[in-house]
Amino acid sequence: MNVLAIETATPACAVGVRTAAGVEVTRVVDDGRRHTEALTGAMKDLLEEVGLTPREIERVVVDRGPGLFTGLRVGIATAIALSQALGCELVGVTSLEMLAGGAFSSGVRGTLVACVDGRRREVFAQSFLLDSDVVALDEARVSTAREIVADWEGKGAPVTFTGDGVERYRSEFVAPSFATIFDQVVPSVHAGLVLGASRSPEDVVSPLYLREADAVANFTTRGRQ
Amino acid sequence: MMGLVLGIETSCDETAASVVDEEFHVLSSVIESSIDQHRAFGGVVPELAGRAHVATIGPVVRRALSDAGLDPHDPKILGIAVTSGPGLIGSLLVGLSAAKAYALAWGVPFVGVNHLEGHLFAPLLESSDLEWPLTTLLVSGGHSLIVLQSGPGEHVVLGETIDDAAGEAYDKVARWLGLGYPGGPEIDHLAQTGTAGSLKLPRSMTGDDYDLSFSGLKTAVVRATEKQRDLPVADVAASFQAAVAEQLLRKLRRALEHHPVKGLALAGGVAANSALRSGVTELAQEFGVEVHLPTMAMCTDNAAMIAAAGTYRLRHDGPSTWDLSASPNWQLADVS
Ligand SMILES: [Zn+2]
Repeated sequence: MNVLAIETATPACAVGVRTAAGVEVTRVVDDGRRHTEALTGAMKDLLEEVGLTPREIERVVVDRGPGLFTGLRVGIATAIALSQALGCELVGVTSLEMLAGGAFSSGVRGTLVACVDGRRREVFAQSFLLDSDVVALDEARVSTAREIVADWEGKGAPVTFTGDGVERYRSEFVAPSFATIFDQVVPSVHAGLVLGASRSPEDVVSPLYLREADAVANFTTRGRQ
Repeated sequence: MMGLVLGIETSCDETAASVVDEEFHVLSSVIESSIDQHRAFGGVVPELAGRAHVATIGPVVRRALSDAGLDPHDPKILGIAVTSGPGLIGSLLVGLSAAKAYALAWGVPFVGVNHLEGHLFAPLLESSDLEWPLTTLLVSGGHSLIVLQSGPGEHVVLGETIDDAAGEAYDKVARWLGLGYPGGPEIDHLAQTGTAGSLKLPRSMTGDDYDLSFSGLKTAVVRATEKQRDLPVADVAASFQAAVAEQLLRKLRRALEHHPVKGLALAGGVAANSALRSGVTELAQEFGVEVHLPTMAMCTDNAAMIAAAGTYRLRHDGPSTWDLSASPNWQLADVS
């Protein structure tokens, strides 16, 4: 199956293609929040490189977050339009799964917490067990570096932290002796291709925001007072 | 078959798609609005609008293609026109990203269109025998301009608002009066039963130019009603509406006096306003020029007007490149 993957959940924009013949190319094409400007041209170039026309894409995989809201919308709108126009399959994976998968294929084993920068001193986080496979240990949630570190300190078990959320709040993640940091800022497009190929296609893929729009949050709070 | 263009519009709270042919016949026009989600906030909330666009863009485009009788996987269109500014950045990005993806998938060109130029093409979709030159009053929630058009795609901005847009002033006054959002229809409706002269409002923008301003009028309404608390809301609405129309029509009259034209057109969301529609019609009669009042469907943001403007831009400027960004502050005067 010819699969194309789109990654726009962090300030970086990345794309990947894996052909039915097993040729895989992945590339980070920008790292400055210029998703809209970079994405389509990069997909076109990558397809040409592996010798596919857009019509030969059989499945589009997209990172549905959590992450940068505008980035997610660019990636998902692109994936929806592409799959709809081509009449091909669409699959959503999460940025946290892609980070876990990226660490796994680089040989990281044991418990891992993937953290995507959530801005406002917060991270979007999820824990995984990396053994013979990648298994999620909890749900994706909004947290802080402090909370995550305190949580694992209590458990007293070794853990690996990864993601641009760790990069952003590095000083808070570095100190604990039980923790290792696996440097990885962009969710792994390779992992996205692997995960996306193994799942059932979906009719609708929507962003995983994990946070209400500010106006709604403020409005609800105001209503309660 | 005539060359078809697919238009996509997501600059504010409407997600819209439309198929238009080279002679500006509208084959389909689909509009979904997230306005109900914004009402409680008294204005469009950008993040909510962005979220709504992602959810609706696919279905809206699919319906526009099927309503036009086109194959969704191979629609055989000339190209895609998409609003790339001005507007809410997070909303624009959804339409622009989708448009690029459709273009890549179908192997057709795409072009970024200025939303305001789209509004200027709306009259062409409704009257094929339109004569040039044309003076257009473009008034909406985000913009208020007087534009002189010598032909399709050829325009000079004579004047524009130096502060709030007319629609914005309607929203603010409506909020002050405790009316619903959007304010235009609410005030227009109330004004029908009120007396316009009951509230003394200053004549604003009396200079020898075409610039507009509505912020002062809004402040005047607030001050006057603070002093006269017992004034019926309908009278306030009628007085405010009359003052807005007076300023707009006075500037339009000046434009007609100094720049002879064959027609006078009204465009944008505030073009639905009854006082403005009747005033513009009378003005056109007085000057003996054709009047072009948009139907209610053509007043609001739609993608047919974007497809029409895009048809022109594709032909004259050629397609945009893949790296096109959204331009949230793109001025009509900068469209060449
Ligand atoms: Zn508009």
